[in-house]
Amino acid sequence: MIFWEIAKRNIRIHLLRSSLAMLGIVIGVVAIASMGILGNSMVLSVSDSLRTVGDSVIVTPHAGGGGGGFGGGGGSSSALVITEQDYQQIKRVSAPNVAIPVLQTTDRVKLGVGKDDLVSLIYGIDPDDMPALLTLESGDYSRSSSGCLVGSTFAKDNNVKVGSRISVGTDGNKGSLRVTGIIEERGMAFDVSTDSAIVATQDWFSNAYNRNDYDKVVIKVRNLDEITSVKEAIEKQMNRRDEVVDVMDTRKVMESIFQAFGQITTFVSAIGGISMLVAGVSILNIMMMSVTERIKEIGIMRSIGAQRKEVMSMFLYEAMILGIVGSIIGGILSLLGGYAISSLMLQTTEYLFVPSSLIHIVYGMTFGIIICLICGIYPAWRAANLNPIDALRHE
Amino acid sequence: MIGAENDQPVMIFRDVVKVYPLPAGDVVALDGVSFQVDRGEFISVMGPSGSGKSTLLNLMGCLDTPTSGDIFISGTRIGDMSDSELTSLRRDRIGFIFQYFNLFPLLNIIENVTFPLMLKTGKGVDPERGREVLRAVQLDDSLFTHTPTEISGGQQQRVAVARALINNPDILLCDEPTGNLDSKTGAGIMDLMTDLNKKGTTIIMVTHDPHIAEYSRRTIRIADGRIVS
Repeated sequence: MIFWEIAKRNIRIHLLRSSLAMLGIVIGVVAIASMGILGNSMVLSVSDSLRTVGDSVIVTPHAGGGGGGFGGGGGSSSALVITEQDYQQIKRVSAPNVAIPVLQTTDRVKLGVGKDDLVSLIYGIDPDDMPALLTLESGDYSRSSSGCLVGSTFAKDNNVKVGSRISVGTDGNKGSLRVTGIIEERGMAFDVSTDSAIVATQDWFSNAYNRNDYDKVVIKVRNLDEITSVKEAIEKQMNRRDEVVDVMDTRKVMESIFQAFGQITTFVSAIGGISMLVAGVSILNIMMMSVTERIKEIGIMRSIGAQRKEVMSMFLYEAMILGIVGSIIGGILSLLGGYAISSLMLQTTEYLFVPSSLIHIVYGMTFGIIICLICGIYPAWRAANLNPIDALRHE
Repeated sequence: MIGAENDQPVMIFRDVVKVYPLPAGDVVALDGVSFQVDRGEFISVMGPSGSGKSTLLNLMGCLDTPTSGDIFISGTRIGDMSDSELTSLRRDRIGFIFQYFNLFPLLNIIENVTFPLMLKTGKGVDPERGREVLRAVQLDDSLFTHTPTEISGGQQQRVAVARALINNPDILLCDEPTGNLDSKTGAGIMDLMTDLNKKGTTIIMVTHDPHIAEYSRRTIRIADGRIVS
């Protein structure tokens, strides 16, 4: 269409001023997109270290309460524990999802004759439940009760391999364990943090520490939609009279963490948005100039039969071209900028080429084009509504 | 819309009054003007400045509507038309020729000439039709792809005439068509006008130059918003 052609040519003959206005849009797009990419990359890098998938409900003894329920355990009665009876109830209400009881303590361990004692976190988990909770990097799940798994950091730091022996307790009074597998890195987790820990079998743990109760119960929920109902069912069952247990839903926790990050990302992107608004003002400015310069031309067009909306479209095309070209350049620069920022601040660019990062470039470009169109509307409207007689007479 | 039959007047003004309301008091620019233009006429409108000539031109060109009275263009009353209807009427029925040629500097000659046709059809340049009309105004083929600034004033005015003719208008409306040309070039343009008129084009020409007015077959003289002869 001829008005598109005129808009294009008008930008070309005013190349310098069009480029300057476009530069504003380019900067705006880059600001929004690179802020968004940076924020998203940070979220991704944090969530990578928070490896917990949001599919668990974790039941712990109520921290504010007294003992561990009615049955009273074999362990010290003042300790916060979940009794076998409590566990059975939890297991029943959360079925068919797997409820994994977990024991935990810290104790001295020794990794061979002549080595120094270490203090380590020790978990006790039923070998049948281990595959559901833990993924191995090497070796095998423990079959015999004296077998154990160790976390990857523990293994690396202490040079522990499959087959190594660990004696537990002061002078090995709790017995000796043989390492059967190394657990893959899990990062910080809400259920069990095994990276620097030893995972023994439940049988061995109960014998060694004389326990027949548990420290927490982890329920792996198969269908994520059920996570809230499982949580509610446990709370209803266990806390009917007193607060016996605390129930945490990992998805909720993850959600609130990501929500906080999302807010930060939005905030920094909004700062980028301000630069886009400034760019919009400069687009408005040159569009007004373009209209003022061409009043006579508009008058001629109108007098020989151009409709108002056609005149309007000519100026909107002009604003749109500035917006689209500026946004495309901005989009390309954002990729480069995002690459630079990621590699400088996060020392990695693996979070750049993922959809959730790249979408910020799309946001920036869309915002750029929309801003240009909005800022083109008023000048275009002015042009379209000029009185043809006055416009024709304009010198 | 009534069809443009050959014996129907292309333009009728009946008791047309145009008043401009101004804070200092209303200005009556036209005060009861009536005349009729038949198909194939060549009319010049003359009058001193301030006589209402420009107002009359704006009304004839459907750029404005009268305060009272009726104007018919090819049988269509323009008094109650919307802006969009008036615009379409200008595009399809009236060809404008201005004193300062008023070509679009961003477009080349062919694009300038076919501009009103593109407005009408909504399509791109029709170079065939453009060339045809440009040849009718005796413009050399080698100039067709130039821009307006690259050709002379007389050539520009020929392009403007071609642009005015492209939609086969009922009326060619000229505002001082030779006012910005030397007398020889102006005479060339007037010969072209006479030629077009002989081929059937209705021409109304506003001028203050009596020599130019001599080319027309009838003259309407206007003073103080009234037709005096």
